[in-house]
Amino acid sequence: MNATMLLIFDALLLASIIGLAWAALASADARRSVILFIAFGLLLAVAWGRLLAPDVALAEAAIGAGLTGALLLAALQWQPRKTADTTNSEQPTHTLLETGFRWLVTLLCAALAGMLAWSLTQIDAGTAKDALANAVAANIDASGVSNPVTAVLLNFRAYDTLLELAVLLTAVLGIFALGPAQAGYRIAGPVFTSLTRWLTPLLILTAGYLLWVGAHAPGGAFQAGATLAAAGVVLRLAGRDQIGLPRGNALRIALGAGVGMFLLVGLALFALGRPFLGYPPAWAGALILLIETAAMLAIAATLVSAFIGGQPTEEKTRC
Amino acid sequence: MTDALIALVALPLTAALLALLLPRIATALVIFSGLAITASAIALLYGVNTAGALHYELGGWTAGLGIALRADGLSAILLLMIALVMFAASVYASAYFGKASERAQFWPLWLLLWTALNALLLSGDLFNLYVTLELLGLSAVALAALSGKHAAVQAALRYLLVGLLGSMLFLVGVALLYAGYATLDLATLTQVVKPGPIAWSALTLMTLGLLLKTALFPLHFWLPPAHGSAPAPVSAVLSALVVKAAFYLVLRLWLDVFADIVTPTAANLLGVLGAGAVLWGSWQALRAERLKLLAAYSTVAQLGYLFLFFPLLLALPPGPARDVATGGLVMLALTHGFAKAGLFLAIGIVQQRSGHDNIQELGGMVQRLPLTTFAIALAGVALIGLPPSGTFLGKWQLISAAIATGQWLWVAVTAIGSLLAAAYIFRILGHAFGNQPYPHQAVAVAREEWPALLLTLTATLVLGLAGAHVWTLLENGS
Repeated sequence: MNATMLLIFDALLLASIIGLAWAALASADARRSVILFIAFGLLLAVAWGRLLAPDVALAEAAIGAGLTGALLLAALQWQPRKTADTTNSEQPTHTLLETGFRWLVTLLCAALAGMLAWSLTQIDAGTAKDALANAVAANIDASGVSNPVTAVLLNFRAYDTLLELAVLLTAVLGIFALGPAQAGYRIAGPVFTSLTRWLTPLLILTAGYLLWVGAHAPGGAFQAGATLAAAGVVLRLAGRDQIGLPRGNALRIALGAGVGMFLLVGLALFALGRPFLGYPPAWAGALILLIETAAMLAIAATLVSAFIGGQPTEEKTRC
Repeated sequence: MTDALIALVALPLTAALLALLLPRIATALVIFSGLAITASAIALLYGVNTAGALHYELGGWTAGLGIALRADGLSAILLLMIALVMFAASVYASAYFGKASERAQFWPLWLLLWTALNALLLSGDLFNLYVTLELLGLSAVALAALSGKHAAVQAALRYLLVGLLGSMLFLVGVALLYAGYATLDLATLTQVVKPGPIAWSALTLMTLGLLLKTALFPLHFWLPPAHGSAPAPVSAVLSALVVKAAFYLVLRLWLDVFADIVTPTAANLLGVLGAGAVLWGSWQALRAERLKLLAAYSTVAQLGYLFLFFPLLLALPPGPARDVATGGLVMLALTHGFAKAGLFLAIGIVQQRSGHDNIQELGGMVQRLPLTTFAIALAGVALIGLPPSGTFLGKWQLISAAIATGQWLWVAVTAIGSLLAAAYIFRILGHAFGNQPYPHQAVAVAREEWPALLLTLTATLVLGLAGAHVWTLLENGS
């Protein structure tokens, strides 16, 4: 009985995910697409939960659906809104060559999809799960944390995470290079203002909790950073100019904090004769928390900077 | 020796952070760290030459659980090329960007790009390779958009979308391999991978993604606008190094990791696309009206030659004959790297002094910019493949291997491509050496002219005359 219920739930979930994905792609109105995309991300988070991957589910909900959705909506805000008429009139006419080319690409994609489906039938689901999971389980005691996901991200494959933080830094520097931040929104009304008064501290508190709990349960720097960034987004939406984002040099330090702390720890250990990023087991837990705290601040600063669309101006323009 | 592996990634990344925090001394910092990175690359090459391939387990975790850095002869040579080209372009950029605010934005991204290039060449792990590809793609896009002009931003956005599609395809391939073989370590995968749908699909997806990034015809559409509208030092490294990093990965996958999976038919397909690139790229370069577009289309063509090697290498039995041909391939890639970087830097000087880069209106350029024109001519020698450039040695191996394996089509393509290259180079020189008065005041800046000249000299003389060492290094470092 229980199994049947779950099966029905899974089938509905899968159908909704595919339906939402299709609707998001097919929609002519960009705003509608974005909102469908956010709903798609939330259902995807549920799917990750069903796959017993709560870490991924949290990250998907916070970053995939939440902040990406906010970023997309913010980007749309600065675009002139296209009506359905203009998109229709821009429909280009295709020459015979272009039509043939389209069909060729479609056929190639279909062939690739067929090949992928065939490969999926060949995968022995057990192989991947056992090999690395066993290796992680065998070494988890030396990693300094008991959450295997954090152990992989911050210890076994810390180098990947270091470079990923460098990717985030690159992205935000690229955004800064394109121009200053956009002007803020209009000041919120009394209801929303009072809502932000208790939402903001709650989000900051949640971020701290997620950071701390990441050592032994689902959570960690990325989820915490996204939650902290959400506090900045809420303040920004309420029309605040001061959104907790530092200016000038302090901002640059915050953005580089994740990569910087990682490098500092890695190189210090290297100088002491240990492998690069090879934490001594006794210190691993503390060092990971140190790196994750810096990474959380960097991630939050990066995401908020991306949301406001550029480097915040040095002096206050509005109160 | 393994210290050099860490230094090559940690040095540019640390320098990027410092350049971000201390913009006032960033230029000095870049020059200083550039010297240190070059020294590390030389140390690595020396180590690989004496001790063979090197590897380093990050964090002390065995590969499989952790990530390994690896370097062999091929990656060590390419790392030295990256260091030299990036260093020369850094010196150039210190004079090219006049305003302090421009430099403050440029240096951190520039060093992040350097980090990405080094990390990609050193990575021995599939997922880590994906991360380095993302870092490389994003930093390249940010640098390409730096001028902020409408055309540049538009080209950069297209570059970003193409790059993301390429990375996604690569990532799906990685996921498939991990699901099938439970490892991300390249060395382990090389031993366990078997012919079958998983390996075929993964290789197809990853190759497709990388071909997008390396701009192989007909997936080159994004390259000319992106490389043609970026600032000069950025165009130089995009054309010389960034597309080559993706090519290096294709080479690594096809000849190393998936050596038992690839078939001559599949290699022939790459060869046909390469031939298309040589012919179409050279033809478009001949028709280009702007110098930078000419150079960008020439990159499309020169990348085509590299892909002509695939059907030849697969037709040769593993052993000395194949190694000699592989050396020719590496030689072509190296020479193009130096020559094209030098060419773009020289074109940047022309563009800044004249205010434009229309080939038709450059008559008499040699009167005011003799060294720059000389650098363009030297780059031309290398792009055509005249002796004593390294390209000559590379094409010689290409043609020898094609004759030895009876694949005459590639000989014809190489010949036509070289003739077209001669035509487009002499088209520039014909205008440059014209005797009409050159209307612009052109002040030569040594920090701009010498990097261009030294890079093109390396391509034409150093690589050509010291070419035998490349083959020795590849052999010792395997």
